[in-house]
Amino acid sequence: MILRNVAIRHGRSALAAPLRRSFLRSMTTDTLTHETDALSHSPASTNSTSLKTFVPPSDAGESLDSIKTDYASQQRLNKRTGKLGSAVEKGYVPDALVRNPPKPADVTLELLMASQSHLGHSTSLWNPANQRYIFGIRQGIHIISLEETAAHLRRAAKVVEGVAYHGGLILFVGTRAGQGPAIVKAARLSKGCHLFEKWIPGSITNGDQILSRCDIKVVDKDDVDITSGFEDKIGDWKALKPDLVVCMNPLENYIMLHECGLNNIPTIGVIDTDADPTWVTYPIPANDDSLRCIQVIAGVLGRAGQEGQRRRLEAAKTGHITWLPPFGLGSPETAEDKKAAANKVRRGPPTADEIAAEQSRGKSSKQEMADIDEEL
Amino acid sequence: MKVSWHPATLKGTLQCASSPQSISFSRQRGINIRPRNFTTSTRLRAGIAAAEINFDGRNGTPYEPIFYARLVPTSASYFTAQPLFTDDLLAVQTLVERYSNLPTVKPGEAPRVAWRPLADYRDSVGEVVQASKYSKIIHALQRLNHIQASLMPEPVKDALNAYKRNVNPFRNVVKVAPIDKLGRSLGAGRRKASTARAWLVEGTGEVLVNGKSLVEAFGRVHDRESVIWALKATDRIDKYNVWALANGGGTTGQAEALTLAVGKALMAHEPALKPALRRAGCVTRDPRRVERKKPGHVKARKMPAWVKR
Repeated sequence: MILRNVAIRHGRSALAAPLRRSFLRSMTTDTLTHETDALSHSPASTNSTSLKTFVPPSDAGESLDSIKTDYASQQRLNKRTGKLGSAVEKGYVPDALVRNPPKPADVTLELLMASQSHLGHSTSLWNPANQRYIFGIRQGIHIISLEETAAHLRRAAKVVEGVAYHGGLILFVGTRAGQGPAIVKAARLSKGCHLFEKWIPGSITNGDQILSRCDIKVVDKDDVDITSGFEDKIGDWKALKPDLVVCMNPLENYIMLHECGLNNIPTIGVIDTDADPTWVTYPIPANDDSLRCIQVIAGVLGRAGQEGQRRRLEAAKTGHITWLPPFGLGSPETAEDKKAAANKVRRGPPTADEIAAEQSRGKSSKQEMADIDEEL
Repeated sequence: MKVSWHPATLKGTLQCASSPQSISFSRQRGINIRPRNFTTSTRLRAGIAAAEINFDGRNGTPYEPIFYARLVPTSASYFTAQPLFTDDLLAVQTLVERYSNLPTVKPGEAPRVAWRPLADYRDSVGEVVQASKYSKIIHALQRLNHIQASLMPEPVKDALNAYKRNVNPFRNVVKVAPIDKLGRSLGAGRRKASTARAWLVEGTGEVLVNGKSLVEAFGRVHDRESVIWALKATDRIDKYNVWALANGGGTTGQAEALTLAVGKALMAHEPALKPALRRAGCVTRDPRRVERKKPGHVKARKMPAWVKR
């Protein structure tokens, strides 16, 4: 043991008093074997290895390469260890209803209840025309009968499916904030159109002005584009009108519904307790203020449209076509037709003799005689 | 032909669902037609009157089978009246949603991007797009731009490039003012109603304005200093000779027009002095002019004195 200055300076008193622990290190150069032994046997020592490898995060910016490798290693780790550990209950995923919408067959009262479709408005705001859809009053608000909701939703799904099956154009409208994704998804499923911003008044009644720059195309029975032969007709064609309109917020879209009524276009609408059910053809009594409810309804109707489109294409493959072409569209114009039309313009209207000659051309007189004989 | 009537409503299609049997039957009828040159129908078609009604294909014209084609919108955004814009918006929003889990840089540390201006975008899509709507696209693009550059997926890069302003950095070439064979450089400057030209040549610090020395040309000391301010600020009074012409306006205007002219001429000799000259105020044209007089005012802003009655 080597005595250092402390001990010398304090002289006798220091020597007389028992050595305190805190001085030990300053007074001796020997290793404190018993101290380290005690540390190594303590339970806290199990963390010592992890402490050694711990590197505090630095504030300096990381290099791009390290970010890339870190991200890759994190992905690898997630892939390897993601399934380990306890099973986590399925939580609420906000966009689950948009990503994977329910089918009409999946509509249950539990689903409707969970999506808050039963909550109406304050009793003072009600429209008495909705009395038949109202289950009762709770805490000052009307509760919509979910049985009515389910029944009306299934009926609306049948309508959407039928329109899609018969080659109609379905327009989904939801102009409130947050309704966009559900509307777009429903339109994509049912191969229809979507509108999630303001309805431009006159889009139906004055469509030739408002939609004049929007392109239309011609498709055949299998929904394959017909690229040639209709250019002239498409250029002059009137603006399209939807064959069915699905409206998620009728209260804000009165003008659109009125235009639909004027043009005899059937409408489906989500009718809350303060809305007027006579504005739409097929009301669905439900809560139009809940995005989850709107996602369920739009999803169900979108799935119904998807099923209708699938059935239509299937029927077309077997030769059963469920729709008629619009009046005046006719068959595609070929190059010969164009040439003939140009000749006609150049020469003026044909005379009777020319027409007669044209008709008799291509058939020999012998065939003609045979035909006459057959008729006789 | 302008078609004035458009059906395709559900009502029509529901009733008219046709079956394969009926189609083949009508085709059979169509094949058995025989042309009749002696019918009276051809006479009518020569004039302005319409053709006779073809009830079952017996009137000479062959029966045409239905050609099944229908009209649909090219885009699902047809009824928004801005289909191209709406599709663009949905495309970038889909990208944001799909790549929302990728690591991002800190806010404000993303690379600076000059986005296409609204007018440019409007021209490209040919639709009347409101500024507020276009800002939605820009908002989504800025989110995409914050994705770490090393992890940015190809579709995101393509989308960002599609909306970047078409800037060619090599097109922005600095114009070099020439120095003639006698070693003179010419600079021009304007201020108020005055214009000035100054020729600068390496020398000993002589200054001639309109053929007069600086003291003769300008009475105010401040104006004299203004003329050679570019040389003074860069400590080059004794290195150059100035021969200048100034006309129009007053003394202050001419002096400060000469400041710019001398500064620009100096930049031709020593382009590296440009930052120093800019700081000294010898590069930027002062755009202020005399404010016009307004009716009801005595001068530009002065009101006539208020009299009680």
